[in-house]
Amino acid sequence: MSIVPKETIEVIAQSIGITNLSPEAALMLAPDVEYRVREIMQEAIKCMRHSKRTTLTASDVDGALNLRNLEPIYGFASGGPIRFRKAIGHRDLFYTDDREVDFKDVIEAPLPKAPLDTDIVCHWLAIEGVQPAIPENAPLEVIRAPAENQIYQQKDGPLIDIRLPVKHVLSKELQLYFQKIAELTMSKSNPSLFKEALVSLASDSGLHPLVPYFTNFVADEVSRGLNDFLLLSNLMHVVRSLLQNPHIHIEPYLHQLMPSVVTCLVSRKLGNRFADNHWELRDFTANLVALICKRFGNTYITLQSRLTKTLVNALLDPKKALTQHYGAIQGLAALGHNVVRLLVLPNLEPYLSLLEPELDAEKQKNQMKSYEAWRVYGALLRAAGLCIHDRLKIFPYLPSPSPSFLNKGKGKIISTEPNKRKLSVDSSSAMQVDKPMGDDNPPQNSVQPSSSGQASDGNAPESRNAKEKEGSKGRAITMKAILDQVWKNDLDSGRLLVKLHQLYGDRILPFIPSTEMSLFL
Amino acid sequence: MDPEQLDEFVMGYLKKKGFNGAAKQLQDALHHNNNNNNGTGSSSSFNSTDYHNDPELTKLIRSFSQSENDPTRYRNGYSNLRSWAYNSLDLYKHELLRVMYPVFIHCYMDLVGKGHTQEARAFFNSFRKDHEMIHLRDLQKLEGVLVPSHLEEMEFARSLRQSKVNIKICQYSYDLLLQYLHRTESTLMLGIINEHINFQVYSGQPNSSSDDIDAVTIVGSFQETADHVNQKEIQWGLLEDSLEDRLEKTGSLLTDSEKGQGESKDGDVDDSNKKRSTEIGKQGSSLKKLKKDKAGNATAKVARQETSTVSPAPRVKSELALPVMSTDVEESILEDLRNRVQLSSVAMPSVSFYTFVNTHNGLNCASISHDGSLVAGGFSDSSIKVWDMAKIGQAGSGALQGESDTNDQVAGPNSRRNYTLLLGHSGPVYSATFSPPGDFVLSSSADTTIRLWSTQLNANLVCYKGHNYPVWDVQFSPFGHYFASCSHDRTARIWSMDRVQPLRIMAGHLSDVDCVQWHPNCNYIATGSSDKTVRLWDVQTGECVRIFIGHRSMVLSLAMSPDGRYMASGDEDGTIMMWDLSTARCITPLMGHNSCVWSLSYSGEGSLLASGSADCTVKLWDVTSSTKLTKAEEKNGNSNRLRSLRTFPTKSTPVHALRFSRRNLLFAAGAISKPTS
Repeated sequence: MSIVPKETIEVIAQSIGITNLSPEAALMLAPDVEYRVREIMQEAIKCMRHSKRTTLTASDVDGALNLRNLEPIYGFASGGPIRFRKAIGHRDLFYTDDREVDFKDVIEAPLPKAPLDTDIVCHWLAIEGVQPAIPENAPLEVIRAPAENQIYQQKDGPLIDIRLPVKHVLSKELQLYFQKIAELTMSKSNPSLFKEALVSLASDSGLHPLVPYFTNFVADEVSRGLNDFLLLSNLMHVVRSLLQNPHIHIEPYLHQLMPSVVTCLVSRKLGNRFADNHWELRDFTANLVALICKRFGNTYITLQSRLTKTLVNALLDPKKALTQHYGAIQGLAALGHNVVRLLVLPNLEPYLSLLEPELDAEKQKNQMKSYEAWRVYGALLRAAGLCIHDRLKIFPYLPSPSPSFLNKGKGKIISTEPNKRKLSVDSSSAMQVDKPMGDDNPPQNSVQPSSSGQASDGNAPESRNAKEKEGSKGRAITMKAILDQVWKNDLDSGRLLVKLHQLYGDRILPFIPSTEMSLFL
Repeated sequence: MDPEQLDEFVMGYLKKKGFNGAAKQLQDALHHNNNNNNGTGSSSSFNSTDYHNDPELTKLIRSFSQSENDPTRYRNGYSNLRSWAYNSLDLYKHELLRVMYPVFIHCYMDLVGKGHTQEARAFFNSFRKDHEMIHLRDLQKLEGVLVPSHLEEMEFARSLRQSKVNIKICQYSYDLLLQYLHRTESTLMLGIINEHINFQVYSGQPNSSSDDIDAVTIVGSFQETADHVNQKEIQWGLLEDSLEDRLEKTGSLLTDSEKGQGESKDGDVDDSNKKRSTEIGKQGSSLKKLKKDKAGNATAKVARQETSTVSPAPRVKSELALPVMSTDVEESILEDLRNRVQLSSVAMPSVSFYTFVNTHNGLNCASISHDGSLVAGGFSDSSIKVWDMAKIGQAGSGALQGESDTNDQVAGPNSRRNYTLLLGHSGPVYSATFSPPGDFVLSSSADTTIRLWSTQLNANLVCYKGHNYPVWDVQFSPFGHYFASCSHDRTARIWSMDRVQPLRIMAGHLSDVDCVQWHPNCNYIATGSSDKTVRLWDVQTGECVRIFIGHRSMVLSLAMSPDGRYMASGDEDGTIMMWDLSTARCITPLMGHNSCVWSLSYSGEGSLLASGSADCTVKLWDVTSSTKLTKAEEKNGNSNRLRSLRTFPTKSTPVHALRFSRRNLLFAAGAISKPTS
């Protein structure tokens, strides 16, 4: 019958004070009600069309009612379309969210900001038939072979799919832009200008035609300039900016970009000078890789698995250099805690046993080698620590000090050690453990820490030293208590923690959230 | 069957149909017959035995008698016919399927008419899918009809009931159909088909399915009237002694003198151009532009000579008393025409886009003056805002310069606003139009009035009352002074600026008249309507002289080619149709937009058509190739692709208005739909 059920008519009748409506009358009325509603909607759609809109608003319905000499429905005079909510438990029942507002609140509320006044801006949509690539225009489409070619080929050669070379016209302006950016990336002399260029790369629309050129440029320069640290760093910044640009559709060029990025992460040697801080570059690239995985992981399902495979292989190959191991660990760590838990932690024990001789200052005479080993050790510690930190966070009944680890400020942990060491965990570098240098400067720390990364490096051996020296008994008892507690909480992560503690000793402690720590103390 | 039973059925049938006289007579006859049989039995007086003995007739009568009102007969009859048509020979299938739609809607309306609401709904829903692709809008309308009284009330349904559909069908398909109907004795279907379909049977092979659009459009009662109306003669030629003519003459003079004087004459023109441009302070574009213009000018001359030799376009006299143009306005127009850039499928225009920002969903219409320097917006809060882009352009980037020197108005008193606010209407403003020199603005509104505003005084001059319902559109005539309006009251009206009463009322559309456009020679106006037709009206007599049938939804925009020969119309679904005015035939449907076509505009010399749509694109179409392609060519290649020359997507800005300036710069306007963050 009619889409308006009889019951609706009865309800409406009751609401306007007609109580004795017979069911037959309701049944008769229902089709007419439907017809009238449709009639009103037809007129409302006309009003909408003449208002040059494609969304129907309450004002259109009012206009339609006006056309039929009916009173408009009051109370829906909002500018935009009305938001309907679904009634819980009913499939087809909707209502408008109409909350009661206290009059006092309305009066006392500060005046809203005056809406901006209407204005006109003008731009060139096209100049002699060509759309200029300016921010006002929609970004150009992805360049692909025109459809006619394919149709044409299907006609005469059904089996052979020959793609005609696509003619790609690049405007003079874009060519100049590309040259300028390439120059800046290569020259390394004007960092402030380069920064501006990066901002432009990250925000300008209309750069899309240049993307293939940029990916090519990056790939070429990375393979050519592995010795040039600054160049590599600049190139990675360029890649990052391109990824950030919302107007660029970079997906089709990802396969060209990935090898160079991974190279910058796990290459044996980046830069040729001692002073080159290739660790920082590796960290930066690790974040870049994580960013790519996060953005395109959904569209390329194999992307992450292939990447982790490469990295794990690099990590587990004892022939590879320690720098490569470091890059692999950082890359895996950036991909998230689950990756670390599943891929790094199982290999932790054998790997650490391999690393052990390198770490020992007496056995390893080459200072450079030992430094690298500590670096790797620090990265591993950080990865495992962050992972365990994340695990511990899951416990529901432990009051967590901060909702997410990233927002965590400097959580101060006061340990029971006699000299009251203050360990603070910084969120950004996460491994940067600042502490007042005690009286015992370890012999390994001859390499002066110059950057934040190196500070952490200096710290790692020191705390190890400290452990060897101090290792007080009372503390061990506390530790045991904690571990027992954790064991009870979660068998799995408890075991993990125990294992980690066996491997790392106290150094894992800064990663255990402070409240949990203080709770047990 | 027992003869007496049969007699009873016949009796019952006659009574039910209200043929009381016949029933009485039959009764008498039967009575008489019986008497006769009982009595002498010699004189067989009546022919009543005829139908008793004819088995075919008996069956027929029986089929009538058995539950005349049974609604399932419609369903069964239709579904049988449907499955038969779908299983018919491929060659004839499309012709037979064409019959299904009218049968379907009439079955539905019959069911509704007899009060079987529920069955009608069920019937409609089960077969609706078949016709949705082509007839979606009609079905949506009909869906709401549930009670017999609605059939009476709804214009569309009434016109369907009263009229016959013309269907072209080949002889063999026709025979097939008749054979089927007789064989299966589906008298009901036969009845519907006889009642509502008018077959135009032709001999030979069936046509290919795609070539005629009329076959799939059900147009209600006016197909015949349309055919009749379209016989009338119209004169689509341009006015004699138009400015273009004059320019042509001077142009030819120029070329003559050039032969003798060579470059010097051109130099003079250049000089005068320079002088003018310095006078109005437009050195910005300087020499480059002038050079380009000159080049365009040269080609223009050549092109013009060609056209004039190939096809001397007919010239007509104006039937209206046209306003006298002041000499300086005339001069500026001539200047513009001389500087027009020639466009073609290889020489594309530049497009300047005016984006309205912060409209808060309130912009109902936009209009651009003939020189592109003034932009008016009509808002749903009853206000009209007029921007002088020439002034803004001078102050700002200078990217856009007004093309004529008529904009010497003073700045508004409120210096903070850079637009002129015109208040006066008491309802949403649905349309605004500039007079050709840009000194007046007309606006139409939901308050049923049209108002005339002066852009020099920034004030309302006249309020024209006459329409009874919202006025959807108003357009100035190409020469000013006269204007046409159209409204929800289903009329279009012609007005002159100096009278508050309309001069002519054009009535005839079966639904709202949604848009109106003047013919370049001012003797005709075209109107597009929600009844899916476009009509052409004679301004002098007020008669309808053409009906263009073919759109499948409401017509939203119209444009006339500058030579007066063609018209383009755009509809709600995004289809654009090009019509030949003299034959009232659609030359070609231009597909490409996927949402409402708000605006259409021909380039100055008529070689390109620009269309602006709610799908946030401006498209350019090649008119010359579209009109020249023959049918055979159309079938061979994907000609649609050929015709759409360019698509310019905007950044989520539906295109509300378009205008080619006299120099062939394309202006477009629209309100950005996302708030700029």
